[in-house]
Amino acid sequence: MMDAAEQPFIDIRKVAFAYGERPILKDINLSIPKGKLIAIMGGSGCGKTTLLRLLSGQQQPQKGEVIVNGQHVEKMNHQELFKFRRSMGMLFQFGALFTDLSVFDNIAFPLRENTHLPEDIIRDLVMMKLAAVGLRGTQDMKTAELSGGMARRVALARAMALDPDLMLYDEPFTGLDPISLGVIAHLIKKLNHALGTTAIMVTHDIHHSLQLADHVYFMARGAIIASGTPDEVLNSRDPWVQQFVKGAADGPVQFAYPATSSVAHDFGLSSHHA
Amino acid sequence: MLETLATNLRHLGNWTINVIWKMGFATRFLWSIVLHSAPLITRPGLVIREIYFAGVLSLIIIMVSGLFVGMVLGLQGYTTLVRFGSAEALGSLVALSLLRELGPVLAALLFASRSGSAMTAEIGLMKATEQLDAMAVMAVDPIARVIAPRFWAGIFSLPILTALFNVMGIFGGYYIGVIMIGLDEGAYWSQMQNAVDLHEDVFNGMIKSVFFGVAVTLIAVFEGYDAEPTAAGVSSATTRTVVTSALVILAMDFVLTAFMF
Repeated sequence: MMDAAEQPFIDIRKVAFAYGERPILKDINLSIPKGKLIAIMGGSGCGKTTLLRLLSGQQQPQKGEVIVNGQHVEKMNHQELFKFRRSMGMLFQFGALFTDLSVFDNIAFPLRENTHLPEDIIRDLVMMKLAAVGLRGTQDMKTAELSGGMARRVALARAMALDPDLMLYDEPFTGLDPISLGVIAHLIKKLNHALGTTAIMVTHDIHHSLQLADHVYFMARGAIIASGTPDEVLNSRDPWVQQFVKGAADGPVQFAYPATSSVAHDFGLSSHHA
Repeated sequence: MLETLATNLRHLGNWTINVIWKMGFATRFLWSIVLHSAPLITRPGLVIREIYFAGVLSLIIIMVSGLFVGMVLGLQGYTTLVRFGSAEALGSLVALSLLRELGPVLAALLFASRSGSAMTAEIGLMKATEQLDAMAVMAVDPIARVIAPRFWAGIFSLPILTALFNVMGIFGGYYIGVIMIGLDEGAYWSQMQNAVDLHEDVFNGMIKSVFFGVAVTLIAVFEGYDAEPTAAGVSSATTRTVVTSALVILAMDFVLTAFMF
């Protein structure tokens, strides 16, 4: 997916991460060129969100390297990390808007905190971002007055307030009605095209991933098990990919939790033999 | 038998390690707050906003409680003092009880319940709804932006609230003693003036309330920051703030009193 001469914008090399004794990521390798929109798919708990946390420096890997735009994120100190984050935006799963601030103040927050722009310029920038997400006229609303879809769009406007080079989307489509979902999907694509932002989208939504992304990665049990362009994914014979695309319960990824007791035991039918 | 003993010992060991770990974390947390306290000078608006929420909004409960505590002291003090024929000493009894003990301790207990619990719940919910993470990802340190202003607001607010509690209590005692019971007004004030020492009583009481302010606010912000990011986690963190604050205030009061008086 990348020319040999082209330097990857994001380079994740042999990354391993565990919470305590519980391994989450094992030997992850990813190379993403500048300006691409990447989807990372996988079941719940496969380590997708952890991967985003490593990229934003919220967690450090136990092994391996996380390189973004030539900078080693895993080696950054506090100051370097905060400087790096000024060129990055992240859309959280439920928006994570500040509930004590209005819509306007939420979007103005990164601008006020990270720049010395005068208030009238900040006002213009916030209004532009609000217009871009189709929410002109909501600036004075409290976050509690917003619907789920509107809140996600405000959060998107806030995440792109500083025109980031890198955007991270954590489950951007979860819990949205079809219209909000379509709008968010369109905005993600537009942002990626118009600003040339490199974007990583962690999601369960196979339909929108294949529609939006330049390249799709599949994760299971802390590793990348398959990848390809949307066309390659659709035509893939890989049983892992097939199972994801079809949403089948049977396949290499087990739907059922590997229980240690038998069904008969759960219903008290095997007690005579015990 | 032996197994029960071993299990209990293991639990005790686990509890001890947890307590020590938490104290270590709280100390590092305090240090981190101090290191991130520059906004106190560069952006005083952040601290003033929190002083409004923690201090100004606590005025009613503090002042009404102070008034009633003073009135109770006036009643109880009079019924006891009158037996010894020294009812005129009511002014000094009310003032000394309030300035040395009741003012700092009760104001701190009320502050922990009213503002400490609110701080824990707010910070805990911000954590549970990923607002603190979102802030950190936007290159804004939550310790500097959320925790430090609340911490300093608590430390500034409590001594002032304590002083107001004392003033209201003294007026409560005056109302009962002088207006209701009919003691001599001059005796009430002059006895108080003679008995109360600015350094020994007033300043020491204020020093106590500064210590309580640090303890209560640190517990409140720490429990919020350390809360498990779930509804049950935030609820138990809020409870822990009130319970731990109450115990720490009372224990600290004993130690400070032993050193001061």
